[in-house]
Amino acid sequence: MDELYLDNIDEFVNDHNKIVTYKWLSLTLGVHVNTAKQMLYHYLDHKRKESSAQLHATYLVSGKFVDNGQTGHRVSVVREDQLEDAKAKMSLIVSVHVYSVQKALLKDSGPLYSVDYDAVKNNLKDCSKYSAIRCASAVPMSSLELQQVREKQQASTPEPENKKSGMNGEAGLASKPSAKPQKGIMGMFANKSAPKNQDSSKDIKSEQKEDAPVVDASKSKPAGKAHPMANFFGTQTAKKPEKPAAARSSSTAEQQHQSSKPEEKQEPATAVQPKHTKKDSRSKTKRTEDSDSEEEKLKKKRRRIKKPDPDSSDEDVIPDSPQHMETREPSPKMEVQPVTPPGNSEVKIRKRRRVLKARTFVDDEGCIVTEKGYESESYSETEDDFEAAKQAQTRDPIKVKLPSSSKEDEKKSQKKTSRNANKGTKQASIMGFFQKK
Amino acid sequence: MFSDLSAQKEGSSLLCRPASENQGPVFERMLLAYSPCCERFKAGERSFGRQYAHIYAARLMQMRPVLSARAQQKWGTDVLIRKLCDMETGEQCCIVGTLFKRMDLQPSILKEISEEHNLLPQPPRAKYINESDELILEDELQRIKLEGKIEKDKCVTGSVIAIYGAERTDGKFTVEDYCTADLPLQPTRPELSSDRFVLLASGLGLDSSQGDSMLGLQLLVDMVTGQLGDLGEQSGAATISRVILAGNLLSQSTQDKEASIKAKYLTKKTQAGSVDAIRVLDELLLQLVASLPVDVMPGQYDPTNYTLPQQPLHRCMFPLSSAYPTLQLEHNPYQANIHGVRFLGTSGQNVCDIQRYSSMDSHLEILEETLRLRHLAPTAPDTLGCYPYYQKDPFILEDCPHVYFSGNAPTFESKLLKGPDGQEVLLVTIPEFSSTQMACLVNLRTLQCEPVSFSSFCTDEDEECEMNVSH
Repeated sequence: MDELYLDNIDEFVNDHNKIVTYKWLSLTLGVHVNTAKQMLYHYLDHKRKESSAQLHATYLVSGKFVDNGQTGHRVSVVREDQLEDAKAKMSLIVSVHVYSVQKALLKDSGPLYSVDYDAVKNNLKDCSKYSAIRCASAVPMSSLELQQVREKQQASTPEPENKKSGMNGEAGLASKPSAKPQKGIMGMFANKSAPKNQDSSKDIKSEQKEDAPVVDASKSKPAGKAHPMANFFGTQTAKKPEKPAAARSSSTAEQQHQSSKPEEKQEPATAVQPKHTKKDSRSKTKRTEDSDSEEEKLKKKRRRIKKPDPDSSDEDVIPDSPQHMETREPSPKMEVQPVTPPGNSEVKIRKRRRVLKARTFVDDEGCIVTEKGYESESYSETEDDFEAAKQAQTRDPIKVKLPSSSKEDEKKSQKKTSRNANKGTKQASIMGFFQKK
Repeated sequence: MFSDLSAQKEGSSLLCRPASENQGPVFERMLLAYSPCCERFKAGERSFGRQYAHIYAARLMQMRPVLSARAQQKWGTDVLIRKLCDMETGEQCCIVGTLFKRMDLQPSILKEISEEHNLLPQPPRAKYINESDELILEDELQRIKLEGKIEKDKCVTGSVIAIYGAERTDGKFTVEDYCTADLPLQPTRPELSSDRFVLLASGLGLDSSQGDSMLGLQLLVDMVTGQLGDLGEQSGAATISRVILAGNLLSQSTQDKEASIKAKYLTKKTQAGSVDAIRVLDELLLQLVASLPVDVMPGQYDPTNYTLPQQPLHRCMFPLSSAYPTLQLEHNPYQANIHGVRFLGTSGQNVCDIQRYSSMDSHLEILEETLRLRHLAPTAPDTLGCYPYYQKDPFILEDCPHVYFSGNAPTFESKLLKGPDGQEVLLVTIPEFSSTQMACLVNLRTLQCEPVSFSSFCTDEDEECEMNVSH
């Protein structure tokens, strides 16, 4: 056998001043524990013959031991000078081997544990790899099996959604309750957008309309076209255009897919969405983050919500969306997103709009910050409804929606106009508020 | 037994140079069929609003037919079995009822809060028995004071027994003899062709500070997993088919009783002492479960519910080891069937409680007594916390186990008990590992049990010393 290991052990013991136990050696060199014990013995024997620097060793002795008339098995670790003594006490010796080799004389056996502990901790996965006993049934279960064993209770929600929810955490909780009202709003938007789309040959507009709710949920989603998206992002925050584009694509795709296969699409969409939301949250202000989290929550609810939404809006959307769809590959993702936006708009209308408006202002000129707070204060659910209603009545509402979600405006490529429209919409909404009262 | 099996005839093979590149022999772990029978200890509806009286009623109802049969067996089939309300003074009869021991020293919350007496809080004691204790027998309707040939110090509240004697004119009952339900019938134990072992350990007592005593525990793990020792030892260790950890995996020091008193904002950033200990336990368990099945029972100091039956520790506390199908998290009264050998046992709370409220000191003696009373924990719910059952008492032994153990005992003791109907029961008190560095091996073929001890050295004495580091 190659005796390189003697040099190895010598380096560990003398140069690194380590306590080399058989178990540590076995894990470090990747050899069977019994081989490691023999290596240590060989090394010790070799060094003793050289009569070089003094080495200390500990031995493991096990055997039959009689104590107070009680016969039992005893396993003990002893220093070399106690070895013969320990062996004499055993009435039957089962095994004796070198336990450790070190330069210093060990005062107690505590360090022996620490050495092994560190080695074992670094090799927890295959701590029994070099042992002399194999257990066929002791194989770690795969994550799938584990889930089956543990989580019969858990709902059959897809993993990506769960992860998202975890990421969102607190924000998600807040958004969930609002999701139900959003459905109604979504329905409103969907209905409105559908007619608009039909009327207007431009797919973009329809998308924008649809996106508007989405935008409320997540800013990144709304814009269908890359240019508007980029503008949008630039204005809102220095977000990366790619991410928003993906979001947009997802949103458009979602709309299209929803009509066809809502369930399948939902899962991929959920997977895609988390990324968007995360990115958005980073770039956005705290408020925006909240909205993102809300979106995520909404996404969870989306599945439930989706069914109603597709019925009304999906069909309409489908014809419009294909163009966008072509450009955007992640269609399944898109399905989920559209579903969520309606939910978001419904649930979080007040808060989201505040934030969004503030962003839109920033996007347009990048200067006005004061409006954020102002707008947010003014809005309320009733106002949103008002706006929606207005939009439904006339095509202008689309613009209004777009302003609320800057992304939509961007899509139109009329950023400035859209912004203006947004401002106008905001004012209109405020007016509406007063009128209502 | 284990040593003889593991002894090598040709001498040590490890005190030589490595022979070749081959990686040494590997033994296959000998596994045995296993089926847990813990249904009756599973928490059901978890309704804690009920009174405890139902347990006693259910217990007496379940035990009465058994004791009536025993009484007829002992005192003749024509013995008069009466209820207390039908009994006439001076009539020789037999009565089945639940014992109640009135004890002056028994801690009572009512006594402590009574301002009239203005007493100092009662100090905790090792024993609560006193000469003034009175023994009372209760059946469904009435109670009567007992005197005569019955050792009141040995009896504990909650035991269902049958007494024989007569009521005197002063209203007390003179006991001439009494009997317990004794051992239930036992299913037959299948023959094993070769030696198979189950390792029992308890009281690992892990805490956040990893003391020197951890080496003993590591040696235990290494022995069981086939790391240490010679070939013979490793082939012997391969016949250990299962490990049962009987409670108190964590040390008492991990319990911070002040945490519940302190204001939340003061303890917000402090980590519970059990967090580190559980992590260490997880790593230890991982080494074990990668090599053989392990049953983990909770104990008095472990993070689960306090009242019996204790529910299994939650899997999420063991992110590493719970990935293995070999990790079995079990209830505290533990019941399982290992290759047809019935195991029943607890982490020791029941035995410790009886020790405090009776004159019996030996855990083994108490263990035998509970088997003869045919009840795992007679002092529950009086002095031992237990769930308020109302339709059945799950602690009544319906059939006789082959191995009956209790954990966290001060010393290792074992005894093969032979019942009148041919039952063979191995009684084992599993020593607390953290203080004794001992575990025990049960041979399923012969129902013998022997201790396995682990020791290391320290230089305070020249002699090798056992690590009796009791915290």
